[in-house]
Amino acid sequence: MKPNFQLKQCLLHVLVVFLLFGIVGCVQQPLMAPSAALPASSMSIQGAASEWRAINRLTYGPTPALLADVKTNGQPLIWALTQLDAARKASLEAPKLPPDLASINNSLPAIFDGVRKERVARASVPAGTRINENVANEKRFHFQEDIEPIFFNRTQVNKAVAWRLASCSNDDVEQPLLARMTEFWFNHFNVYQQKGTVRAFAGHYAIHVARAHALGKFEDLVLASAKHPAMLYYLDQWLSVSPQPARSGQSSRGLNENYARELMELHTLGVQGGYTQNDVKELARILTGWTVSARSDTGFQFVMRLHESGHKTLMGQSIPESAQFIGEKEGEHAIRFLANHPSTAKRISRRLAEYFVADVPPQTLIDEMSSTFMATGGDIYQVMKVMLNHSAFWDPENKLYRTPYDFACASLRVLNVGQDRTKWLQAFGYAAVAGNGIQNWQTPDGYAFNANTWFTPEALTRRIDFALNIARNTSERNDLYAYLGDKTQKAVMQQPPAQRMGFVLGSSELVFK
Amino acid sequence: MTLKAPHMLNRRQAVFKTLSMGAFALPASSVLAEASAKSGRMVLVFLRGAYDGLSMLAPHGDAMYAQIRPNIAIPKPDGTLKTALALDTTFGLHPACAALLPLWQQGVLAAIPCAGSPDSSRSHFDAQYHWETGKPGASSPAPGWLNVLSGLIGKGVGVHALGVGESSPRILSGPSPVQLVGNGLLATRPGTLAETKTREAVLQLYADHEKMASAMLEGANNRMSTAAILKAPNMAASKELQAANNGAGSPQGLALDAKHLGLLMQQNRQLRLGFLSSGGWDTHINQGNVTGLLANNLTNLTNALVQLRASFNEPDDVIVVASEFGRTCAENGTRGTDHGRGNVMWLMGQRVQGGKWHGRWDGLSKDRLNEGRDLPVHHDFREVFSQVLASSFGLPKASVAEIFPGFRMDHSLDGLFNV
Repeated sequence: MKPNFQLKQCLLHVLVVFLLFGIVGCVQQPLMAPSAALPASSMSIQGAASEWRAINRLTYGPTPALLADVKTNGQPLIWALTQLDAARKASLEAPKLPPDLASINNSLPAIFDGVRKERVARASVPAGTRINENVANEKRFHFQEDIEPIFFNRTQVNKAVAWRLASCSNDDVEQPLLARMTEFWFNHFNVYQQKGTVRAFAGHYAIHVARAHALGKFEDLVLASAKHPAMLYYLDQWLSVSPQPARSGQSSRGLNENYARELMELHTLGVQGGYTQNDVKELARILTGWTVSARSDTGFQFVMRLHESGHKTLMGQSIPESAQFIGEKEGEHAIRFLANHPSTAKRISRRLAEYFVADVPPQTLIDEMSSTFMATGGDIYQVMKVMLNHSAFWDPENKLYRTPYDFACASLRVLNVGQDRTKWLQAFGYAAVAGNGIQNWQTPDGYAFNANTWFTPEALTRRIDFALNIARNTSERNDLYAYLGDKTQKAVMQQPPAQRMGFVLGSSELVFK
Repeated sequence: MTLKAPHMLNRRQAVFKTLSMGAFALPASSVLAEASAKSGRMVLVFLRGAYDGLSMLAPHGDAMYAQIRPNIAIPKPDGTLKTALALDTTFGLHPACAALLPLWQQGVLAAIPCAGSPDSSRSHFDAQYHWETGKPGASSPAPGWLNVLSGLIGKGVGVHALGVGESSPRILSGPSPVQLVGNGLLATRPGTLAETKTREAVLQLYADHEKMASAMLEGANNRMSTAAILKAPNMAASKELQAANNGAGSPQGLALDAKHLGLLMQQNRQLRLGFLSSGGWDTHINQGNVTGLLANNLTNLTNALVQLRASFNEPDDVIVVASEFGRTCAENGTRGTDHGRGNVMWLMGQRVQGGKWHGRWDGLSKDRLNEGRDLPVHHDFREVFSQVLASSFGLPKASVAEIFPGFRMDHSLDGLFNV
């Protein structure tokens, strides 16, 4: 396809970039995009700039093998679509977990059992004995030894983080676009992996919710999230029941709106999506009885006894008490309805475009993605395809600033050290200290991923510190120079060889993408 | 509850920051004009994980106390450091907090035994979110209330809030610029860009990107001046250990962070809001009594508070200690305590009506407890902070309403500060 830019649109982009970078922290003046705008006539999805764009946006950055691949292909758009197909194919297969991380993908009953054993082990610790809860840092990503039952939960968390680092940096472990999609969906359906009850399940959730449905139907993704113990625990859905009389020694239980609200506000419709407080309550009533099960293979069960029966109305739609919608089916019906709502189509399209294209993506792109979403029953693969085929994806005016998480992963790829767990540790530490720890956001809104949040003076200096530190004594990569600007190259070459990679990593070409 | 999508917030930030850079005139606002009539400073020490207030302020005079806490109660005062230190016939101080006793006796330290959030969530993260946004019950994206307050104090200009320890605490996030300094020794490291040679090399790297270059220089300068003020030994050793701590401070690190906060706020008198936090208070198991896990944490907290008192002793300065909620009054089956509701808040400062506890206390009999198990919340945390805002900052009611939307003071704590 031939991108065709109207002058008006280009001016708008310049304005948007100006506005975006002008507002950050204490920066006094707007930050211009690193490369000057190309005249519309020279736009083309070919050459180094498009190759660089594709590899840095669809993956976390250029490994030597992948860079050779995109270069050999010579058609960045074709290459991008190939990545999309490969990611979909990989999402339907089991993940290639490093053997020592495998327990995050154990069956849910086995994970529940691990949680139970930790509880038992902790209860039997003699009074006054202090349990050392801190993992020595150098041991954080070493799981060869058998784990004591008392540390089951925290080990599951560390393994889940290790798996994210492995999959973002190492293409033998994970298809690189799928690694990104998994991050996106985990963050969209965020759970906080440090919340006590969530800990053991966060890795399983990433695999079986975010990854498994990454390029499938959106409604299946929402349903998988809704029924997973990590989400059931995280937003307290497992406790939400039709009002029950208090039993002796227990406090009374009843409706909890937490999950129902976020399901509409964050997961599907969006806050302006057209629902009311009454809809929140109705949805909470519909979902009563959805709870965890330590014995079922899905980790989920529907308990009719805890379900609130009766007629409900959701967003003007009457849900009668009939055989078709009874019990669990009522909730599934409601979730499918929300997942396929036009507000949801717009919200998901915008979020994807913000993540892959620009902090303020062009409305035409969102509209095209959104109508495809509606036309295909929320087929994420098709929506992504529209995005890749749109000129906005390839427009150099559409800048993105790497989040700390993104930059941490990029560093492992650019330095080609995806196998080195001490480097994982450095990357992990950088992202954590920067406030973007891996799967570590407390609230259901997930991390922001715009420059407004992450580009501040002090954060930039810490990023440079990290780049110079992690790159120390790593091998120079001559294949990268063709993709760097003249002044960047010149500044890098002035450094002694052992320090060059740090400057490559800290360059605007890799700090942005 | 006002709901705001993240992108809306960003746009608002955009406008706010453009304004604060002086590109446009600020809109006339009576609220802003009236704001900040006093020059006091406030430091909030937030104990994440819910500390056990009934150990720090032990109700030894209540017969139920020892009965429902057979293993973990602090014993009745006998005049030694092996028991509670008597404050009056009702309460005593944990012996690990002995260094606070003189402050109580001088009348600059006060406690509010039953304070908290009106929202009944027992989830740490929900409750912390409510405390930090000042909006109990609302989970939608919202700015932190210290950030909003910072904007009001400065009338939209300048940096007035400092956080030491966490990389990006919610309570400080929002449209107004704030200063954030790393925890422990991290704050003392100016980084690689402190070396002129490296700085110049990076300047060359950004030769085509003037705004990146200027941001880099600004960041490097900030960090160098922070490090210089803190006069840090250049210790590279425990860097990675620090890095792996997820940015959350430990109780042990609190005293160092408190010292850094004091130094930085002494140097820059524009900074009038300080925020410190520590984790490690979620004592479900084996919390100990006079000694043990919790006692160690209380020792560290006490050291930090003594440190803060030395730095913040001007007439309108105030130091506040709080947690997101309290713990169960009775001990649980594992010699610890579970998540509760109300908790003890502490206030320290010249203007505080100290040497006494404030507000309602109904004792520990079951029928007086929330759901028969927790201290009730007799005083909304926003009531406490509204009192602080009036006393230390002279903020009018309209400003308080901007910080805590929808909250109405009940004036149940009107004697908290000397006028």
